[in-house]
Amino acid sequence: MELDEQLTDALNELGNIGAAHAATTLSQMLMRPVEMAVPEVHIVDIADIYQYIGDDVSALAVFQIQGDLPDGGFLIVNIPRSAVIQLTNQMLGSTDTEREITEMDQSAVTEIGNIMVSAFLDATAELLGIIMLPSPPALAIDMAHAAFEAVVAQIAIDVNEVVIFNTELKVDAPSIHGNIILLPQPGLLKELIRLLEGLMAPS
Amino acid sequence: MEKRIFIEDNAVIIGIGDYCVGTFPMATIGVGSCVALILHDRLRSTGALAHVMLPESCGVTDRPGKFADTAIEAMVAELEGTGSARSHIVAKIVGGACMFAYSTNTLNIGRKNVDAIRNLLKEHCIRIEAEETGGRIGRSVIYRPAESGRLTIKRADGTCIDL
Repeated sequence: MELDEQLTDALNELGNIGAAHAATTLSQMLMRPVEMAVPEVHIVDIADIYQYIGDDVSALAVFQIQGDLPDGGFLIVNIPRSAVIQLTNQMLGSTDTEREITEMDQSAVTEIGNIMVSAFLDATAELLGIIMLPSPPALAIDMAHAAFEAVVAQIAIDVNEVVIFNTELKVDAPSIHGNIILLPQPGLLKELIRLLEGLMAPS
Repeated sequence: MEKRIFIEDNAVIIGIGDYCVGTFPMATIGVGSCVALILHDRLRSTGALAHVMLPESCGVTDRPGKFADTAIEAMVAELEGTGSARSHIVAKIVGGACMFAYSTNTLNIGRKNVDAIRNLLKEHCIRIEAEETGGRIGRSVIYRPAESGRLTIKRADGTCIDL
């Protein structure tokens, strides 16, 4: 699969708008500035996914994209273990960073993921004039690659490459970082490309 | 995204849907719903490792390591092609976890992968020598054919065991 430069730019921009809205909601919840890296679109062979997602323990909140397309793919909020604890601590005003992950952390990640993903989808869907809604979240706190591959197994049944939109978000002192990853099904990707080409076409 | 890999030696990393045959150490990281399938020739200290993603190929043949049926077929053929006898091949399987607690059916392909592999191994008359499957935990594995097929599993909770 190959994307030309213009289309890659357009997809990047789409990811940018979605991630910026998600970052704004995160910033509002934490009442702190959130830095956002420039989003990247990668076309990755399934055999090379381990080069992007390692086996460190992370929280992955996974949302299926529903709406106009019943099975659009997945949005994933990926937060490393240590950042999860910082995140919950900041929301609850506690400071203990040496503790284990608790149910409170699980709820916090699920809830933050929910709000961020809703903002991401609202913003991108509005731009494109379609409806995209997140499913209820599924949460795993485990090796990031192990949870990620369960999602890939849904996307890459007929194809050997997946398109990964990745945006990194960062909060300073104490540092919290995570990624929002969009994994579109081939059907949604085609639709995104069609709509973006429509937007880019001279009228 | 951060990249970190569990390897101590210069093991060859087998990604999702890949497989490899040889005498050198092979590793695969973060096995969740997928299954790390190891076929080891006890006589020749050689073997194969696949990172199987789905139970059935439904006729797709371009990526044999991706599906249980095509992976076993390809690994056995390649091992036999290099001189292994079927009677000396034993299997070890790791993975097939159910990674998401409350998700609807579709994310929990792990169990189906393990069932498919068990049945296929039986059909191929290959004995399962050891396994660590199921549960709700990711695992990384390293397989060393030259050390009597020693298989080390590192679980997501940090514990390590040898199979």
